[in-house]
Amino acid sequence: MKSVVTTVVTAADAAGRFPSTSDLESVQGSLQRAAARMEAAEKLAGNLDAVAQEGYDACIKKYSYLNNEGEANSTQTFKDKCLRDIKHYLRLVNYCLVVGGTGPLDEWGIAGQREVYKALNLPTAPYVAALSFIRTRGCAPRDMSAQALTEYNALLDYVINSLS
Amino acid sequence: MLDAFSRAVVSADSSTSPIGSDKINELKSFVAEGNKRLDAVNAIASNASCIVSDAIAGMICENTGLIQAGGNCYPNRRMAACLRDGEIVLRYVTYALLAGDASVLDDRCLNGLKETYTALGVPATSTVRAVQIMKASSTAHITNTNTEAQAGSSKFRQMAVADGDCSSLASEAAGYFDRVISALS
Repeated sequence: MKSVVTTVVTAADAAGRFPSTSDLESVQGSLQRAAARMEAAEKLAGNLDAVAQEGYDACIKKYSYLNNEGEANSTQTFKDKCLRDIKHYLRLVNYCLVVGGTGPLDEWGIAGQREVYKALNLPTAPYVAALSFIRTRGCAPRDMSAQALTEYNALLDYVINSLS
Repeated sequence: MLDAFSRAVVSADSSTSPIGSDKINELKSFVAEGNKRLDAVNAIASNASCIVSDAIAGMICENTGLIQAGGNCYPNRRMAACLRDGEIVLRYVTYALLAGDASVLDDRCLNGLKETYTALGVPATSTVRAVQIMKASSTAHITNTNTEAQAGSSKFRQMAVADGDCSSLASEAAGYFDRVISALS
């Protein structure tokens, strides 16, 4: 899993040397930014279900045709799965906030995403709608501090871009 | 390779749950203690050649047969290989300490090491002894409790760092050395 520490260690190992001062400096830099990321991750984990529900409601409101028979949100099973998928992305955002990189999203969310949605004949636009709603819904300092919100929004933007 | 943060992610993913407050509080203390950790890594890295040569020399002093004809540190070529291996082990322990996770040590150093040493005829007891000495001097450097009596007046050196309680880092590092020892024996 790629993070600042693993990148530094991989580079030092490739050169066969002990961690140098500059290696330690870059790890320190990432630790200094970690407080904001941890705050965002903690707040998101605490409200994940509510956040996902709001995003889901917003996307179904925008794309109400999905409730029609034969569409992706027509049965209760489908509805549950739609909500589950949004929760899944938010969980990966939570992981990325903890790691301090996009590794979890890349490896467990985005890799193969296009192929899966194509094979299941799912539209990606509703996911974008849900995540964009969540992206604009977050507010500092009501939900978290400004710096934490910046880190959180950056990752939501990353997922939205991968789906659009 | 994992670090303390990605280790939390991997274990949370196995139960498909987000990382909640409990784990995050642990990681917050990891972040808060970060400078101590970097100082500890620096303490080992800056004294690495001293720690390694002292451990290998100590191992040989206790068992001088190693440098007599037929011994595993005779001639110089094999002694040099021994010093090199000591440095490699210490380097991976340093990486593990920096990452706060043993995976880099396990995957890149210990995996297959015992089999390799058995095949090459490297004596396990001597190797373990050298690692034990490295463990003792590394933890002394981390807690800055090394003394002139231990190091000898010509080599003695203490890092100029802010005083603090590094006992948990010292025991974490000791745990990585113990991992090496149990992998070899």
